[in-house]
Amino acid sequence: MSPLRRFLRTPEAVTGAMLLAALIAMALSASLLFPGDPQAIAGPALLPPFQDWSLPLGTDRLGRDVLAELFHGARTSLAVGLAAAAAALVVGAVVGTLAGFAGGLVDEVLMRITDAFQTVPSFLLALAFVSVVGPSLGVVVIAIALGTWTGPARVARAEVLSIRERDYVAGARVIGMHPLAIAFREVLPNALPPVLAMSSVIVAAAILTEAALSFLGLGDPNRVTWGGMIAEGRAVLRTAPFLSIVPGIALVLTVLGVYLAGEGIVETTAVRRGLS
Amino acid sequence: MSLLAVSNLTKCYRRGDKTIAAVDDVSFHIDPGETLALAGPSGSGKSTIARLVLRLIEPDDGRIDFEGSDFLALSGAALRARRARLQMVFQDPLAAFNPRATVARVLDDPLRVHGIASRAERPRRIAALLERVGLIADLAPRAIHEISGGQRQRVAIARAIATKPSLIVLDEAASALDVSVRGEILKLLLDLQRQEKIAYLFISHDLGVIRSVAHRVILLDAGRIAENGDAQTVIDAPQSAIGKALVAAAPRLNRTLMRLASAGLD
Ligand SMILES: Nc1ncnc2c1ncn2[C@@H]1O[C@H](COP(=O)(O)OP(=O)(O)OP(=O)(O)O)[C@@H](O)[C@H]1O
Ligand SMILES: [Mg+2]
Repeated sequence: MSPLRRFLRTPEAVTGAMLLAALIAMALSASLLFPGDPQAIAGPALLPPFQDWSLPLGTDRLGRDVLAELFHGARTSLAVGLAAAAAALVVGAVVGTLAGFAGGLVDEVLMRITDAFQTVPSFLLALAFVSVVGPSLGVVVIAIALGTWTGPARVARAEVLSIRERDYVAGARVIGMHPLAIAFREVLPNALPPVLAMSSVIVAAAILTEAALSFLGLGDPNRVTWGGMIAEGRAVLRTAPFLSIVPGIALVLTVLGVYLAGEGIVETTAVRRGLS
Repeated sequence: MSLLAVSNLTKCYRRGDKTIAAVDDVSFHIDPGETLALAGPSGSGKSTIARLVLRLIEPDDGRIDFEGSDFLALSGAALRARRARLQMVFQDPLAAFNPRATVARVLDDPLRVHGIASRAERPRRIAALLERVGLIADLAPRAIHEISGGQRQRVAIARAIATKPSLIVLDEAASALDVSVRGEILKLLLDLQRQEKIAYLFISHDLGVIRSVAHRVILLDAGRIAENGDAQTVIDAPQSAIGKALVAAAPRLNRTLMRLASAGLD
Protein backbone atom coordinates (compact mmCIF):
# COMPACT_ATOMS: atom_id res chain seq x y z
CA MET A 1 0.00 0.00 0.00
CA SER A 2 1.39 3.40 -0.89
CA PRO A 3 2.16 5.82 1.98
CA LEU A 4 -0.47 8.26 0.69
CA ARG A 5 -3.19 5.61 0.78
CA ARG A 6 -2.14 4.51 4.24
CA PHE A 7 -2.20 8.17 5.32
CA LEU A 8 -5.73 8.57 3.92
CA ARG A 9 -6.90 5.47 5.79
CA THR A 10 -5.86 6.90 9.17
CA PRO A 11 -8.78 8.99 10.49
CA GLU A 12 -6.56 11.06 12.81
CA ALA A 13 -4.20 11.92 9.99
CA VAL A 14 -7.07 12.91 7.69
CA THR A 15 -8.62 15.08 10.39
CA GLY A 16 -5.27 16.74 10.96
CA ALA A 17 -4.72 17.28 7.26
CA MET A 18 -8.17 18.83 6.89
CA LEU A 19 -7.62 21.19 9.83
CA LEU A 20 -4.25 22.13 8.44
CA ALA A 21 -5.69 22.69 4.97
CA ALA A 22 -8.37 24.98 6.45
CA LEU A 23 -5.69 26.94 8.30
CA ILE A 24 -3.57 27.32 5.17
CA ALA A 25 -6.64 28.35 3.16
CA MET A 26 -7.44 30.99 5.79
CA ALA A 27 -3.90 32.30 5.78
CA LEU A 28 -3.70 32.44 1.98
CA SER A 29 -7.14 34.00 1.43
CA ALA A 30 -6.92 36.55 4.27
CA SER A 31 -5.97 39.54 2.13
CA LEU A 32 -8.33 38.47 -0.70
CA LEU A 33 -11.42 38.13 1.49
CA PHE A 34 -10.49 40.94 3.88
CA PRO A 35 -8.36 43.28 1.80
CA GLY A 36 -8.39 46.25 4.21
CA ASP A 37 -6.46 46.70 7.43
CA PRO A 38 -7.88 44.08 9.83
CA GLN A 39 -7.16 46.48 12.68
CA ALA A 40 -9.42 49.19 11.19
CA ILE A 41 -12.80 49.92 12.76
CA ALA A 42 -15.54 48.10 10.81
CA GLY A 43 -18.70 48.66 12.80
CA PRO A 44 -20.17 49.23 16.26
CA ALA A 45 -18.12 47.97 19.19
CA LEU A 46 -18.85 44.59 20.83
CA LEU A 47 -21.31 43.39 18.22
CA PRO A 48 -22.09 39.72 19.10
CA PRO A 49 -21.61 37.01 16.45
CA PHE A 50 -24.34 36.00 13.96
CA GLN A 51 -26.19 39.35 14.25
CA ASP A 52 -24.97 41.21 11.22
CA TRP A 53 -24.07 39.07 8.19
CA SER A 54 -21.51 41.58 6.98
CA LEU A 55 -19.73 40.99 10.29
CA PRO A 56 -20.50 37.28 10.91
CA LEU A 57 -18.37 36.85 14.05
CA GLY A 58 -19.18 40.30 15.38
CA THR A 59 -16.74 43.00 16.49
CA ASP A 60 -14.38 43.55 19.41
CA ARG A 61 -14.13 46.38 21.93
CA LEU A 62 -12.91 48.82 19.29
CA GLY A 63 -15.37 47.71 16.60
CA ARG A 64 -12.88 45.65 14.58
CA ASP A 65 -14.17 42.73 12.45
CA VAL A 66 -13.41 39.53 14.42
CA LEU A 67 -13.57 37.28 11.34
CA ALA A 68 -11.08 39.47 9.48
CA GLU A 69 -8.81 39.42 12.52
CA LEU A 70 -9.13 35.63 12.73
CA PHE A 71 -8.08 35.21 9.09
CA HIS A 72 -5.14 37.58 9.37
CA GLY A 73 -4.16 35.98 12.68
CA ALA A 74 -3.97 32.60 10.94
CA ARG A 75 -1.29 34.09 8.74
CA THR A 76 0.84 35.20 11.67
CA SER A 77 0.44 31.90 13.51
CA LEU A 78 1.36 29.84 10.48
CA ALA A 79 4.24 32.08 9.40
CA VAL A 80 5.78 32.30 12.86
CA GLY A 81 5.23 28.61 13.58
CA LEU A 82 6.79 27.42 10.33
CA ALA A 83 9.64 29.94 10.33
CA ALA A 84 10.59 29.27 13.97
CA ALA A 85 10.42 25.50 13.50
CA ALA A 86 12.46 25.69 10.28
CA ALA A 87 15.09 27.84 12.00
CA ALA A 88 15.24 25.48 14.99
CA LEU A 89 15.55 22.40 12.76
CA VAL A 90 18.25 23.92 10.55
CA VAL A 91 20.33 25.24 13.46
CA GLY A 92 19.84 22.02 15.42
CA ALA A 93 20.77 19.78 12.48
CA VAL A 94 23.88 21.82 11.68
CA VAL A 95 25.08 22.02 15.31
CA GLY A 96 24.34 18.35 15.93
CA THR A 97 26.11 17.27 12.74
CA LEU A 98 29.22 19.35 13.49
CA ALA A 99 29.37 18.09 17.08
CA GLY A 100 28.84 14.45 16.17
CA PHE A 101 31.11 14.43 13.15
CA ALA A 102 34.01 16.48 14.51
CA GLY A 103 34.04 14.88 17.98
CA GLY A 104 36.68 15.94 20.51
CA LEU A 105 36.84 19.55 21.60
CA VAL A 106 34.33 20.83 19.02
CA ASP A 107 31.79 18.28 20.26
CA GLU A 108 32.51 19.16 23.88
CA VAL A 109 32.05 22.91 23.35
CA LEU A 110 28.93 22.60 21.18
CA MET A 111 27.25 20.19 23.59
CA ARG A 112 28.02 22.44 26.57
CA ILE A 113 26.33 25.31 24.72
CA THR A 114 23.38 23.03 23.96
CA ASP A 115 23.17 22.07 27.65
CA ALA A 116 23.21 25.73 28.65
CA PHE A 117 20.29 26.52 26.33
CA GLN A 118 18.40 23.46 27.46
CA THR A 119 18.59 24.30 31.18
CA VAL A 120 16.72 27.59 30.66
CA PRO A 121 12.98 26.97 30.14
CA SER A 122 12.35 27.81 26.50
CA PHE A 123 9.41 30.11 27.20
CA LEU A 124 11.45 32.21 29.65
CA LEU A 125 14.22 32.41 27.08
CA ALA A 126 11.79 33.66 24.43
CA LEU A 127 10.24 36.10 26.89
CA ALA A 128 13.62 37.52 27.89
CA PHE A 129 14.83 37.79 24.31
CA VAL A 130 11.75 39.66 23.08
CA SER A 131 11.76 41.96 26.12
CA VAL A 132 15.36 42.93 25.47
CA VAL A 133 15.34 43.21 21.66
CA GLY A 134 11.80 44.50 21.23
CA PRO A 135 8.79 42.83 19.60
CA SER A 136 8.72 42.31 15.85
CA LEU A 137 7.88 39.27 13.75
CA GLY A 138 11.53 38.39 13.10
CA VAL A 139 12.49 38.74 16.74
CA VAL A 140 9.60 36.51 17.81
CA VAL A 141 10.73 33.85 15.32
CA ILE A 142 14.32 33.95 16.64
CA ALA A 143 13.11 33.99 20.24
CA ILE A 144 11.08 30.80 19.75
CA ALA A 145 13.85 29.10 17.76
CA LEU A 146 16.35 29.88 20.56
CA GLY A 147 14.51 27.58 22.93
CA THR A 148 13.73 24.74 20.49
CA TRP A 149 16.89 24.00 18.46
CA THR A 150 18.46 21.89 21.24
CA GLY A 151 16.15 18.90 20.75
CA PRO A 152 16.91 18.52 17.03
CA ALA A 153 20.62 19.09 17.78
CA ARG A 154 20.74 16.14 20.20
CA VAL A 155 18.84 13.83 17.87
CA ALA A 156 21.03 14.81 14.89
CA ARG A 157 24.22 14.28 16.92
CA ALA A 158 23.18 10.80 18.06
CA GLU A 159 22.36 9.81 14.49
CA VAL A 160 25.60 11.25 13.11
CA LEU A 161 27.64 9.38 15.74
CA SER A 162 26.39 6.07 14.38
CA ILE A 163 26.59 7.04 10.70
CA ARG A 164 30.15 8.34 10.82
CA GLU A 165 31.52 4.86 11.54
CA ARG A 166 30.09 3.45 8.32
CA ASP A 167 32.28 2.34 5.45
CA TYR A 168 30.92 4.92 3.06
CA VAL A 169 32.21 7.75 5.24
CA ALA A 170 35.66 6.13 5.22
CA GLY A 171 35.20 5.82 1.45
CA ALA A 172 34.53 9.55 1.16
CA ARG A 173 37.72 10.26 3.13
CA VAL A 174 39.73 7.93 0.89
CA ILE A 175 38.41 9.83 -2.13
CA GLY A 176 39.88 12.98 -0.59
CA MET A 177 36.63 14.78 0.14
CA HIS A 178 36.80 17.77 2.50
CA PRO A 179 35.58 16.92 6.04
CA LEU A 180 32.88 19.61 5.88
CA ALA A 181 31.64 18.22 2.56
CA ILE A 182 31.55 14.75 4.11
CA ALA A 183 29.62 16.04 7.14
CA PHE A 184 27.02 18.01 5.19
CA ARG A 185 26.76 16.17 1.86
CA GLU A 186 27.28 12.56 2.91
CA VAL A 187 26.30 12.30 6.58
CA LEU A 188 23.67 14.98 7.30
CA PRO A 189 21.10 13.90 4.67
CA ASN A 190 21.13 10.37 6.10
CA ALA A 191 20.76 11.70 9.66
CA LEU A 192 17.71 13.82 8.79
CA PRO A 193 14.71 11.42 9.03
CA PRO A 194 14.55 11.25 12.86
CA VAL A 195 15.19 15.01 13.07
CA LEU A 196 12.38 15.79 10.63
CA ALA A 197 10.08 13.47 12.58
CA MET A 198 10.21 16.05 15.38
CA SER A 199 8.96 18.86 13.18
CA SER A 200 5.21 18.51 13.83
CA VAL A 201 5.68 18.80 17.58
CA ILE A 202 8.05 21.72 17.11
CA VAL A 203 5.68 23.62 14.78
CA ALA A 204 2.76 23.05 17.17
CA ALA A 205 4.82 24.23 20.15
CA ALA A 206 6.07 27.27 18.21
CA ILE A 207 2.49 28.31 17.35
CA LEU A 208 1.53 28.04 21.02
CA THR A 209 4.59 29.98 22.16
CA GLU A 210 3.86 32.73 19.66
CA ALA A 211 0.28 32.95 20.97
CA ALA A 212 1.56 33.09 24.55
CA LEU A 213 4.02 35.88 23.75
CA SER A 214 1.29 37.86 21.99
CA PHE A 215 -1.05 37.27 24.90
CA LEU A 216 1.55 38.89 27.17
CA GLY A 217 1.77 41.82 24.78
CA LEU A 218 5.15 40.76 23.36
CA GLY A 219 3.94 40.00 19.83
CA ASP A 220 4.52 42.22 16.84
CA PRO A 221 2.17 45.19 17.59
CA ASN A 222 1.55 45.82 13.87
CA ARG A 223 0.06 42.40 13.25
CA VAL A 224 -3.12 40.70 14.36
CA THR A 225 -2.38 37.57 16.37
CA TRP A 226 -4.68 35.08 18.01
CA GLY A 227 -2.82 35.46 21.30
CA GLY A 228 -3.33 39.21 21.11
CA MET A 229 -7.05 38.74 20.36
CA ILE A 230 -7.46 36.49 23.42
CA ALA A 231 -5.69 39.10 25.57
CA GLU A 232 -7.96 41.81 24.15
CA GLY A 233 -11.08 39.77 24.90
CA ARG A 234 -10.01 39.07 28.46
CA ALA A 235 -11.03 42.60 29.56
CA VAL A 236 -14.65 41.86 28.56
CA LEU A 237 -14.65 38.14 29.32
CA ARG A 238 -17.98 38.29 31.22
CA THR A 239 -19.98 40.40 28.78
CA ALA A 240 -18.44 39.20 25.50
CA PRO A 241 -16.80 35.79 26.06
CA PHE A 242 -16.86 35.01 22.32
CA LEU A 243 -13.98 37.46 21.83
CA SER A 244 -11.69 35.06 23.73
CA ILE A 245 -13.40 31.82 22.79
CA VAL A 246 -13.24 32.25 18.99
CA PRO A 247 -9.45 32.75 18.69
CA GLY A 248 -8.97 30.18 21.47
CA ILE A 249 -10.80 27.51 19.48
CA ALA A 250 -8.86 28.48 16.36
CA LEU A 251 -5.61 28.02 18.26
CA VAL A 252 -6.56 24.62 19.69
CA LEU A 253 -7.73 23.32 16.29
CA THR A 254 -4.56 24.56 14.61
CA VAL A 255 -2.21 22.93 17.10
CA LEU A 256 -4.25 19.74 16.93
CA GLY A 257 -4.23 19.79 13.12
CA VAL A 258 -0.47 20.33 12.86
CA TYR A 259 0.20 17.61 15.39
CA LEU A 260 -2.15 15.00 13.91
CA ALA A 261 -1.08 15.59 10.32
CA GLY A 262 2.60 15.54 11.30
CA GLU A 263 2.26 12.32 13.28
CA GLY A 264 0.32 10.79 10.40
CA ILE A 265 3.15 11.57 7.97
CA VAL A 266 5.80 10.22 10.36
CA GLU A 267 3.81 7.07 10.99
CA THR A 268 3.10 6.25 7.36
CA THR A 269 6.67 6.87 6.23
CA ALA A 270 8.12 5.04 9.26
CA VAL A 271 6.10 1.93 8.44
CA ARG A 272 7.38 2.09 4.89
CA ARG A 273 10.99 2.34 6.04
CA GLY A 274 10.44 -0.53 8.44
CA LEU A 275 9.14 -2.77 5.67
CA SER A 276 11.80 -2.06 3.07
CA MET B 1 62.63 2.40 -5.15
CA SER B 2 59.52 0.87 -3.70
CA LEU B 3 56.15 2.51 -4.10
CA LEU B 4 55.08 1.96 -0.51
CA ALA B 5 57.48 1.31 2.34
CA VAL B 6 56.07 0.59 5.78
CA SER B 7 58.48 0.32 8.69
CA ASN B 8 57.89 -0.70 12.29
CA LEU B 9 54.18 0.10 12.11
CA THR B 10 52.44 -0.34 15.45
CA LYS B 11 48.86 0.26 16.53
CA CYS B 12 47.47 -0.63 19.95
CA TYR B 13 43.90 -0.66 21.21
CA ARG B 14 42.79 -0.59 24.82
CA ARG B 15 40.54 -3.42 25.84
CA GLY B 16 39.39 -3.06 29.42
CA ASP B 17 42.54 -2.14 31.31
CA LYS B 18 45.07 -3.93 29.14
CA THR B 19 46.27 -2.78 25.73
CA ILE B 20 46.51 -5.20 22.83
CA ALA B 21 48.67 -4.57 19.79
CA ALA B 22 46.43 -4.98 16.73
CA VAL B 23 49.51 -4.32 14.58
CA ASP B 24 52.90 -4.97 16.15
CA ASP B 25 56.14 -3.73 14.58
CA VAL B 26 55.18 -4.58 11.00
CA SER B 27 57.48 -3.69 8.09
CA PHE B 28 56.98 -4.38 4.38
CA HIS B 29 57.22 -2.75 1.00
CA ILE B 30 55.31 -2.86 -2.28
CA ASP B 31 56.90 -2.20 -5.68
CA PRO B 32 55.09 -0.43 -8.54
CA GLY B 33 52.69 -2.75 -10.33
CA GLU B 34 53.10 -5.49 -7.73
CA THR B 35 50.46 -7.37 -5.71
CA LEU B 36 51.30 -7.97 -2.08
CA ALA B 37 48.80 -10.16 -0.25
CA LEU B 38 48.05 -10.04 3.46
CA ALA B 39 46.62 -13.21 4.96
CA GLY B 40 46.05 -14.41 8.50
CA PRO B 41 43.38 -15.55 10.89
CA SER B 42 40.47 -13.32 11.85
CA GLY B 43 41.65 -10.53 14.15
CA SER B 44 45.28 -10.80 13.07
CA GLY B 45 45.37 -7.12 12.08
CA LYS B 46 44.86 -7.18 8.30
CA SER B 47 42.15 -4.51 8.17
CA THR B 48 43.99 -2.42 10.74
CA ILE B 49 47.06 -2.35 8.46
CA ALA B 50 44.81 -1.33 5.55
CA ARG B 51 43.28 1.52 7.53
CA LEU B 52 46.70 2.69 8.74
CA VAL B 53 48.13 2.71 5.22
CA LEU B 54 45.10 4.73 4.06
CA ARG B 55 45.44 7.19 6.97
CA LEU B 56 41.92 6.37 8.13
CA ILE B 57 43.45 5.78 11.57
CA GLU B 58 46.79 7.00 12.91
CA PRO B 59 49.57 4.61 14.05
CA ASP B 60 51.13 4.71 17.50
CA ASP B 61 54.55 4.22 15.99
CA GLY B 62 56.24 3.57 12.68
CA ARG B 63 56.79 5.17 9.33
CA ILE B 64 54.97 5.05 5.98
CA ASP B 65 56.67 6.27 2.83
CA PHE B 66 54.48 6.52 -0.24
CA GLU B 67 55.81 7.54 -3.67
CA GLY B 68 59.07 8.63 -2.11
CA SER B 69 57.76 10.96 0.59
CA ASP B 70 56.79 10.66 4.25
CA PHE B 71 53.06 9.89 4.03
CA LEU B 72 52.45 10.36 7.76
CA ALA B 73 53.78 13.94 7.59
CA LEU B 74 50.95 15.02 5.28
CA SER B 75 47.81 16.64 6.63
CA GLY B 76 44.86 18.76 5.50
CA ALA B 77 44.73 19.73 1.83
CA ALA B 78 48.11 18.13 1.02
CA LEU B 79 46.93 14.77 2.37
CA ARG B 80 43.61 15.02 0.53
CA ALA B 81 45.40 15.77 -2.73
CA ARG B 82 47.79 12.83 -2.29
CA ARG B 83 44.86 10.48 -1.62
CA ALA B 84 44.20 10.50 -5.37
CA ARG B 85 47.19 8.13 -5.73
CA LEU B 86 46.17 5.69 -2.98
CA GLN B 87 42.70 4.21 -3.22
CA MET B 88 40.64 1.51 -1.61
CA VAL B 89 37.93 -1.04 -2.45
CA PHE B 90 35.89 -2.29 0.49
CA GLN B 91 34.53 -5.76 1.18
CA ASP B 92 30.83 -4.90 1.27
CA PRO B 93 30.08 -2.79 -1.79
CA LEU B 94 26.66 -1.82 -0.43
CA ALA B 95 28.02 -0.38 2.82
CA ALA B 96 30.81 1.37 0.94
CA PHE B 97 28.46 3.80 -0.80
CA ASN B 98 26.14 6.48 0.47
CA PRO B 99 22.72 4.77 0.49
CA ARG B 100 21.23 7.73 -1.41
CA ALA B 101 23.88 7.78 -4.12
CA THR B 102 23.49 6.98 -7.78
CA VAL B 103 26.21 5.30 -9.84
CA ALA B 104 26.90 8.61 -11.57
CA ARG B 105 27.34 10.51 -8.32
CA VAL B 106 29.66 7.89 -6.87
CA LEU B 107 31.93 8.26 -9.89
CA ASP B 108 31.47 12.02 -10.10
CA ASP B 109 32.88 12.54 -6.56
CA PRO B 110 36.55 11.71 -7.22
CA LEU B 111 36.53 13.57 -10.56
CA ARG B 112 35.08 16.68 -8.91
CA VAL B 113 37.11 16.56 -5.69
CA HIS B 114 40.43 16.29 -7.53
CA GLY B 115 39.44 18.62 -10.37
CA ILE B 116 40.14 15.88 -12.91
CA ALA B 117 37.44 16.91 -15.36
CA SER B 118 35.23 19.95 -15.88
CA ARG B 119 31.54 19.67 -15.04
CA ALA B 120 30.64 19.43 -18.73
CA GLU B 121 33.23 16.74 -19.37
CA ARG B 122 32.40 14.55 -16.39
CA PRO B 123 29.43 12.58 -17.81
CA ARG B 124 31.69 11.42 -20.64
CA ARG B 125 34.42 10.45 -18.15
CA ILE B 126 31.89 8.55 -16.04
CA ALA B 127 30.71 6.62 -19.09
CA ALA B 128 34.33 5.81 -19.97
CA LEU B 129 35.03 4.59 -16.41
CA LEU B 130 31.96 2.36 -16.48
CA GLU B 131 33.05 0.85 -19.77
CA ARG B 132 36.58 0.42 -18.41
CA VAL B 133 35.27 -1.92 -15.70
CA GLY B 134 33.00 -3.82 -18.07
CA LEU B 135 29.68 -2.09 -17.36
CA ILE B 136 27.38 -0.28 -19.75
CA ALA B 137 27.17 3.51 -19.52
CA ASP B 138 23.36 3.29 -19.16
CA LEU B 139 23.92 2.22 -15.57
CA ALA B 140 24.94 5.77 -14.57
CA PRO B 141 21.53 7.14 -13.49
CA ARG B 142 20.69 4.05 -11.41
CA ALA B 143 20.65 4.12 -7.63
CA ILE B 144 23.42 2.14 -5.96
CA HIS B 145 20.92 -0.22 -4.32
CA GLU B 146 19.30 -0.96 -7.66
CA ILE B 147 22.28 -2.78 -9.19
CA SER B 148 23.65 -6.25 -8.46
CA GLY B 149 26.46 -6.98 -6.01
CA GLY B 150 28.91 -7.77 -8.80
CA GLN B 151 28.00 -4.59 -10.68
CA ARG B 152 28.38 -2.64 -7.45
CA GLN B 153 31.88 -3.97 -6.87
CA ARG B 154 32.76 -3.01 -10.45
CA VAL B 155 31.48 0.51 -9.72
CA ALA B 156 33.67 0.53 -6.59
CA ILE B 157 36.68 -0.40 -8.72
CA ALA B 158 35.76 2.31 -11.26
CA ARG B 159 35.63 4.83 -8.44
CA ALA B 160 39.02 3.68 -7.17
CA ILE B 161 40.71 4.00 -10.58
CA ALA B 162 39.03 7.34 -11.41
CA THR B 163 41.94 9.32 -9.95
CA LYS B 164 44.63 7.15 -11.60
CA PRO B 165 46.12 5.74 -8.39
CA SER B 166 49.43 3.90 -8.16
CA LEU B 167 48.23 1.70 -5.29
CA ILE B 168 44.82 0.25 -4.42
CA VAL B 169 44.10 -1.41 -1.09
CA LEU B 170 41.61 -4.26 -1.53
CA ASP B 171 40.26 -5.44 1.84
CA GLU B 172 38.45 -8.71 1.08
CA ALA B 173 37.24 -6.98 -2.08
CA ALA B 174 36.05 -10.18 -3.72
CA SER B 175 35.10 -12.23 -0.66
CA ALA B 176 31.45 -11.24 -0.42
CA LEU B 177 30.72 -12.21 -4.03
CA ASP B 178 29.51 -15.45 -5.64
CA VAL B 179 32.28 -17.70 -6.90
CA SER B 180 31.61 -16.95 -10.58
CA VAL B 181 31.36 -13.19 -10.01
CA ARG B 182 34.50 -13.34 -7.85
CA GLY B 183 36.45 -14.82 -10.74
CA GLU B 184 35.33 -12.01 -13.07
CA ILE B 185 36.26 -9.31 -10.55
CA LEU B 186 39.70 -10.85 -9.98
CA LYS B 187 40.23 -11.01 -13.74
CA LEU B 188 39.26 -7.34 -14.05
CA LEU B 189 41.74 -6.41 -11.31
CA LEU B 190 44.53 -8.33 -13.06
CA ASP B 191 43.68 -6.65 -16.39
CA LEU B 192 43.82 -3.21 -14.78
CA GLN B 193 47.12 -4.02 -13.12
CA ARG B 194 48.66 -5.16 -16.38
CA GLN B 195 47.46 -2.12 -18.32
CA GLU B 196 47.84 0.69 -15.77
CA LYS B 197 50.72 -0.64 -13.64
CA ILE B 198 48.64 -0.37 -10.45
CA ALA B 199 50.02 -2.04 -7.33
CA TYR B 200 47.64 -3.85 -4.96
CA LEU B 201 47.69 -4.48 -1.25
CA PHE B 202 45.44 -7.52 -1.46
CA ILE B 203 43.82 -8.65 1.78
CA SER B 204 42.11 -12.01 1.68
CA HIS B 205 41.58 -15.12 3.74
CA ASP B 206 41.38 -17.23 0.58
CA LEU B 207 44.87 -18.68 0.06
CA GLY B 208 43.80 -20.18 -3.28
CA VAL B 209 42.95 -16.73 -4.61
CA ILE B 210 46.14 -15.25 -3.16
CA ARG B 211 48.22 -17.97 -4.77
CA SER B 212 46.77 -17.14 -8.20
CA VAL B 213 46.79 -13.31 -8.08
CA ALA B 214 49.55 -12.19 -5.67
CA HIS B 215 53.27 -11.92 -6.28
CA ARG B 216 54.25 -11.97 -2.63
CA VAL B 217 52.36 -12.77 0.56
CA ILE B 218 52.67 -11.81 4.22
CA LEU B 219 51.14 -14.12 6.80
CA LEU B 220 50.08 -12.29 9.95
CA ASP B 221 49.52 -13.74 13.38
CA ALA B 222 48.23 -11.57 16.23
CA GLY B 223 49.52 -8.38 14.64
CA ARG B 224 53.01 -9.70 13.80
CA ILE B 225 54.47 -10.98 10.55
CA ALA B 226 54.79 -14.75 10.85
CA GLU B 227 55.98 -15.49 7.34
CA ASN B 228 56.83 -13.51 4.29
CA GLY B 229 57.84 -14.43 0.76
CA ASP B 230 56.90 -15.43 -2.77
CA ALA B 231 53.16 -16.23 -2.79
CA GLN B 232 53.35 -19.63 -4.47
CA THR B 233 56.39 -20.75 -2.48
CA VAL B 234 54.88 -19.76 0.86
CA ILE B 235 51.48 -21.29 0.18
CA ASP B 236 52.81 -24.50 -1.34
CA ALA B 237 55.25 -25.06 1.52
CA PRO B 238 54.54 -22.88 4.54
CA GLN B 239 57.29 -22.80 7.17
CA SER B 240 55.51 -21.09 10.08
CA ALA B 241 53.01 -22.79 12.36
CA ILE B 242 50.30 -20.31 11.42
CA GLY B 243 51.06 -20.80 7.73
CA LYS B 244 50.67 -24.56 8.05
CA ALA B 245 47.44 -24.11 10.00
CA LEU B 246 46.00 -21.72 7.40
CA VAL B 247 46.86 -24.02 4.51
CA ALA B 248 45.43 -27.03 6.34
CA ALA B 249 42.21 -25.12 6.99
CA ALA B 250 41.72 -24.11 3.34
CA PRO B 251 39.59 -26.89 1.80
CA ARG B 252 39.38 -25.54 -1.73
CA LEU B 253 43.11 -24.95 -1.84
CA ASN B 254 43.81 -28.47 -0.59
CA ARG B 255 41.79 -29.86 -3.42
CA THR B 256 43.63 -27.69 -5.93
CA LEU B 257 46.98 -28.63 -4.48
CA MET B 258 46.04 -32.29 -4.49
CA ARG B 259 45.01 -31.98 -8.12
CA LEU B 260 48.28 -30.27 -8.89
CA ALA B 261 50.20 -32.92 -7.00
CA SER B 262 48.43 -35.76 -8.75
CA ALA B 263 48.93 -34.03 -12.10
CA GLY B 264 52.62 -33.85 -11.26
CA LEU B 265 52.72 -37.55 -10.40
CA ASP B 266 51.18 -38.62 -13.71
N1 LIG C 1 38.45 0.30 16.68
C1 LIG C 1 38.94 -0.74 17.41
N2 LIG C 1 38.89 -0.73 18.75
C2 LIG C 1 39.38 -1.76 19.48
N3 LIG C 1 39.94 -2.84 18.95
C3 LIG C 1 40.03 -2.93 17.62
C4 LIG C 1 39.53 -1.89 16.77
N4 LIG C 1 39.75 -2.24 15.49
C5 LIG C 1 40.35 -3.44 15.53
N5 LIG C 1 40.52 -3.87 16.80
C6 LIG C 1 41.16 -5.13 17.22
O1 LIG C 1 42.38 -5.25 16.53
C7 LIG C 1 42.59 -6.60 16.13
C8 LIG C 1 42.81 -6.67 14.62
O2 LIG C 1 41.59 -6.38 13.96
P1 LIG C 1 41.46 -6.35 12.38
O3 LIG C 1 40.11 -5.85 12.06
O4 LIG C 1 42.60 -5.62 11.82
O5 LIG C 1 41.56 -7.90 12.03
P2 LIG C 1 41.44 -8.61 10.63
O6 LIG C 1 42.71 -9.34 10.42
O7 LIG C 1 41.03 -7.64 9.59
O8 LIG C 1 40.29 -9.66 10.89
P3 LIG C 1 39.15 -10.20 9.90
O9 LIG C 1 39.79 -11.27 9.07
O10 LIG C 1 38.13 -10.76 10.83
O11 LIG C 1 38.65 -9.05 9.10
C9 LIG C 1 41.39 -7.39 16.61
O12 LIG C 1 41.73 -8.01 17.82
C10 LIG C 1 40.34 -6.34 16.82
O13 LIG C 1 39.47 -6.73 17.86
MG1 LIG D 1 39.27 -7.35 8.32
